[in-house]
Amino acid sequence: MNKGSIQVIDCQILAHDQFAGRQHILTLESAQIAKATKPGQFVHVSVSNMLLMRRPISVMSVDIQNNSFDLLYKVVGQGTQQLSERKIGEVLSVLGPIGNGFTITDKKSPLLIGGGVGMPPIIAAAQQIKNSVYNPFVILGSEVPFPFTSKLSKIPTPHIKENFTMPLLEDWGIACRLASLQNYMGVFKGYVSDLARVYLDGLSADELLQVEVYACGPKPMLAAVAQLAKSYQLPCQVSLEEYMACAVGGCAGCVVAVQVDNRPTMQRVCVDGPVFDATTVF
Amino acid sequence: MHKNLKTKFCKLPLNSPIILLSGCVGFGEEYTRIDGFSNAEVGAICLKGTTLEPRLGNMPHRVIETPSGMINAIGLQNPGVDAVIDNILPALDKTETRFIINISGSLVADYGEIARRFDNSDIDAIEINISCPNVEEGGAAFGNDPDMSYRVVEACRQNTSKPLITKLSPNQTDIGLCAQRCIDAGTDGLAVINTLTGMAIDTNTRKPIIGNNQGGLSGPAIKPIALLKVHQVYQVSKKHQVPIIGQGGITTVDDALEFIIAGAAAVGIGTALFYDPLICGKINAGISQYLLDNDLNNIDELIGTLQLNNSTSLC
Repeated sequence: MNKGSIQVIDCQILAHDQFAGRQHILTLESAQIAKATKPGQFVHVSVSNMLLMRRPISVMSVDIQNNSFDLLYKVVGQGTQQLSERKIGEVLSVLGPIGNGFTITDKKSPLLIGGGVGMPPIIAAAQQIKNSVYNPFVILGSEVPFPFTSKLSKIPTPHIKENFTMPLLEDWGIACRLASLQNYMGVFKGYVSDLARVYLDGLSADELLQVEVYACGPKPMLAAVAQLAKSYQLPCQVSLEEYMACAVGGCAGCVVAVQVDNRPTMQRVCVDGPVFDATTVF
Repeated sequence: MHKNLKTKFCKLPLNSPIILLSGCVGFGEEYTRIDGFSNAEVGAICLKGTTLEPRLGNMPHRVIETPSGMINAIGLQNPGVDAVIDNILPALDKTETRFIINISGSLVADYGEIARRFDNSDIDAIEINISCPNVEEGGAAFGNDPDMSYRVVEACRQNTSKPLITKLSPNQTDIGLCAQRCIDAGTDGLAVINTLTGMAIDTNTRKPIIGNNQGGLSGPAIKPIALLKVHQVYQVSKKHQVPIIGQGGITTVDDALEFIIAGAAAVGIGTALFYDPLICGKINAGISQYLLDNDLNNIDELIGTLQLNNSTSLC
């Protein structure tokens, strides 16, 4: 229990950009959250005065120089709809940062996989390990247009012929490729797990020993990634989501079934997760 | 802490009339993760519902927002009475506030046994949850049957000398009758009300959103109902000097004051914490100021001071 680790902060909206597929990137001002957030952690946001319950949203990236952080969300219900209507200059009450994010281990070739609105914690993990001894590879998947303008990558990835990437990751010098079942230019046609298999099959046995998988996305995607990791005997961390009320561990509303010591348990996504060892969930 | 907020509930001295409600605040320490939150700001904390054996609870989804409130169906996830007594109670900082355990069972005898085990602990009081739908007789909730409510309270009373608070269900015809029976069986206090049963449906899948299909509705949506129930129960309980925790959708200072005026000696805060985790300090300050503004020394002078209208209708 980390007493006092979660702040209650009124954050001003610095930017709020809409993308295709009802996706939005929200930039909020807070030096404290920008400094304290670890990859895979989330914030619990009051979206409007009409809806009282907060909405949990993963932090995608932080900007310590500008005292801000970015959230990516997709409009799926009333809460995200009302959030999407908030304007630059308005103030949102935010709780955060919350949760046990990804534990970046000493395996030097992290395979980071994000699907849909599961991309943010993956991008946050990439941000933490850019310009370091790590040699990550990122796979992002989406069935609606990506919430960025993808561009040709100059970072080579042998064995994968599709070569478009996310500009932010390219700027960070991190290799990334995209996957979708849609016909998007420069994007691998298939599931993120299919592209991950192509990538892993291109690695030597020694290189595979340095791979740990980090994933966030819809549950069927995570199940496929967990299965893939198991078949290659790779450790795998998955970030989960669930409807949430308090976000501090008080209400046990956001639980998921997790195996602990070969026994079923119900663990809270908010404070026991949101990141879990994939073998305990799938 | 504001001095004029000091009060007593079932003879327990409280720093504030605010009691944090069972099921919203885990086992008492969870909200201290929030910077600026302190257990010392509340009079008591009612811990998570505890059963004889450990329970994993219901499958997700367990919570969903509904207009001006939320539905939950957690399913009494808890580690069981022995783990609570051995592992959780010793770790609580009892200098800050009072702790009340909430107990639940499937059989009348379960309630008696759990009360007996907590009688030997340092818990300050026991709240009896008589709204569990899985019961021995006929499948109806204990709390919706005044005679069954009597038997549950009686079983607890026979096994403990700790203050007993009985949490009444609003899902019954005559809550006053149930309150009377619980008082007859020896309850020291009453908590009014528990959640109302409700449902939410996903129109795409045509399935209930809550894994348990139905759940308990809380939040501002139920406040007017809770307020009337407190008024009704107070008509019964005041004759016996049995105090009430008024609870159900309290979100503002005025909400809290309304419950006290209707007859509550303490006010429960639950769902509102999910909106504003720092709400207790604001409600404390507001109640304290109201007492000053109205020349009242403490909340005892405000409890049950409701002035009813002359309701004779004009024909």
